[in-house]
Amino acid sequence: MPPVIDPSKCVGCGTCADICNSNIFVFDRSRDKMPQVKFPEECWHCDSCVLDCPKGAITLRIPLAFTLLHVDAGSLKPQEAKS
Amino acid sequence: MLEFNAPLSTDVLVVGGGIGGLCAAIASARTGARTMVAEKADTRRSGSGATGNDHFACYYPKAHGSDIRVILKELRQSLVGAYHDEKLSLRFLEESIHMVDRWQEWGINMKPFGDDYEFMGHAYPGRPRIWLKYDGHNQKQVLTRQAKKEGVEIVNHLPVIDLIEMDGEIAGALALDVSKDTPTFTVIRARKVVLSTGTANRLYPAAGSPGWPFNTAFCPACTGAAQAQAWRIGAKMVNMEMPNRHAGPKFFARAGKSTWIGVYRYPNGKLLGPFVDRATRYVGDITCDVWNSAYTDVLLNGSGPAYIDCTQTKPEDLAFMREGMISEGLTTLVDYMDRTGLDVSRHAVEFMQYEPHIIGRGLEIDIDGQTSVPGLYAAGDMVGNFRADIAGAAVYGWIAGGHAGASAASCELKNAETSPWVAERAQLYSSFVERESGAAWKEANLAVQQIMDSYAAAGPHRLRSATLLTAGLKYMADLRKNAINEISVPDAHSLMRAIETLDLMDNGEIVMHAALERKETRGMHQRSDYTFTNPLLSDKFLEVWQENGTVRTEWRQCWN
Repeated sequence: MPPVIDPSKCVGCGTCADICNSNIFVFDRSRDKMPQVKFPEECWHCDSCVLDCPKGAITLRIPLAFTLLHVDAGSLKPQEAKS
Repeated sequence: MLEFNAPLSTDVLVVGGGIGGLCAAIASARTGARTMVAEKADTRRSGSGATGNDHFACYYPKAHGSDIRVILKELRQSLVGAYHDEKLSLRFLEESIHMVDRWQEWGINMKPFGDDYEFMGHAYPGRPRIWLKYDGHNQKQVLTRQAKKEGVEIVNHLPVIDLIEMDGEIAGALALDVSKDTPTFTVIRARKVVLSTGTANRLYPAAGSPGWPFNTAFCPACTGAAQAQAWRIGAKMVNMEMPNRHAGPKFFARAGKSTWIGVYRYPNGKLLGPFVDRATRYVGDITCDVWNSAYTDVLLNGSGPAYIDCTQTKPEDLAFMREGMISEGLTTLVDYMDRTGLDVSRHAVEFMQYEPHIIGRGLEIDIDGQTSVPGLYAAGDMVGNFRADIAGAAVYGWIAGGHAGASAASCELKNAETSPWVAERAQLYSSFVERESGAAWKEANLAVQQIMDSYAAAGPHRLRSATLLTAGLKYMADLRKNAINEISVPDAHSLMRAIETLDLMDNGEIVMHAALERKETRGMHQRSDYTFTNPLLSDKFLEVWQENGTVRTEWRQCWN
């Protein structure tokens, strides 16, 4: 679920947990080595944590329900009448 | 009862550290007033402007000439719509370029294309362009840095949950400390309060993915807190019954539609809108801004879907569009397209109309940004009689913060924590934590959404009526009662969401009370029992407020 933190890159600075505008992380500096995504379904997918992570340790996985629907633009033309 | 921290004191309290709140705070601090921002998340990335923006409505005499009313007309016919008191719009336009100058000075790049400001997009062909194109990717960090430099105290993870009024004036606010797992209360005493909490989202089911309340075009953590809190202490609201629906890509709900440079087409290739047959960086297809009900029409009448087609856009304008998306804060979309191979030079992306949300509807303010409650100000998306999105928040935040700061010294600081209202509200919120098991806040939020969707639906093709709205008000009151008796939360985060949900109930009730009183059809407020659009109401606004527990409504003339 979004966001996904790579434990091999995370240094536990807590920036993502601080800045998330939906407060979806929990991170207790005295207890945790890295933030935990506790409320993934409340992610707005705004990319702030990805942009601000100093180690590039976060990627956003976009849920299937958020798929951007698209077609080949060349298909936007009058349909040929079937004989 | 949850614990109370020691009360905090300030001259001016700003509720919400978005664009409007930070600009208000800086202006307030410059008057010499002690200024505090109480922010739900972190001002560096909070709110709908979190990762950027690329358009700022502005009157720039050097580019637009000396007649401000020409630009006023464009503003009212643009994406921000017609629900303005003209005298506020004029003050905004007069002061707008000075705000642009300040942002440029502070480090937001308002001139990304050369030595002067440039105006692009959100425009009709052959008409003046009023949206200054800028690079706002760092706007929140810059405004946060500037606020601190000016002496503003920013307290993050401290959402305000109720306003405190004493002797007919604002006296402060009750806030919830959500920085730890266990929530605590903090009363903030203030001589003046500026509300700036943004849009109200999560009020209706997400149009794209109804089971996913956080798939919203605007920040889903913004839930009409200002309208709800001010309503509870008797402030006047306007235009809450007039629905607004944004549009953008399907199914990933995201604002920034006009950063796309393309034209909208039916599956047979025919253009959707009447404006342009080829889009450029200067004049795109404004259909999406001013006729976004078209995307619902084409689904319901079977002629859709509707797509944005960028394949005829020149390659240099496509590269420009990609940069614009980054300025606008749409890096998620850019990454997504890169990762999945979605290529706008080959593919057409379906667009849709999103669910109703509340923007440019809500608190009635005067020319200085003050609400009907003395000492209480509002700026930004939750103002009901003026709207210009980020530019509106910035400029009116500046006006409101400056006025609040300059007049703070003449008010005494009251012991807001002694108000019986604080004890009453704290008791209610504490009960959710003290209850060991019960309903989750999400149940209540989904219940709000289904009531709004059934009984206070917005057009096109959905109707309201006195019987539906009356039933909706009854069901919302029942829901509130049940929610108050049943909600149980395990932690500070969930308590915050539960309180947001109560705020949404207030917003829903305000919408329905006002919609009942507007006995006509106008825009997406469509009444089956009053199908006529009454010209006599064209220059009037409907005020709605509570007085001693009774809902009052009154029509007033627009302020020209």
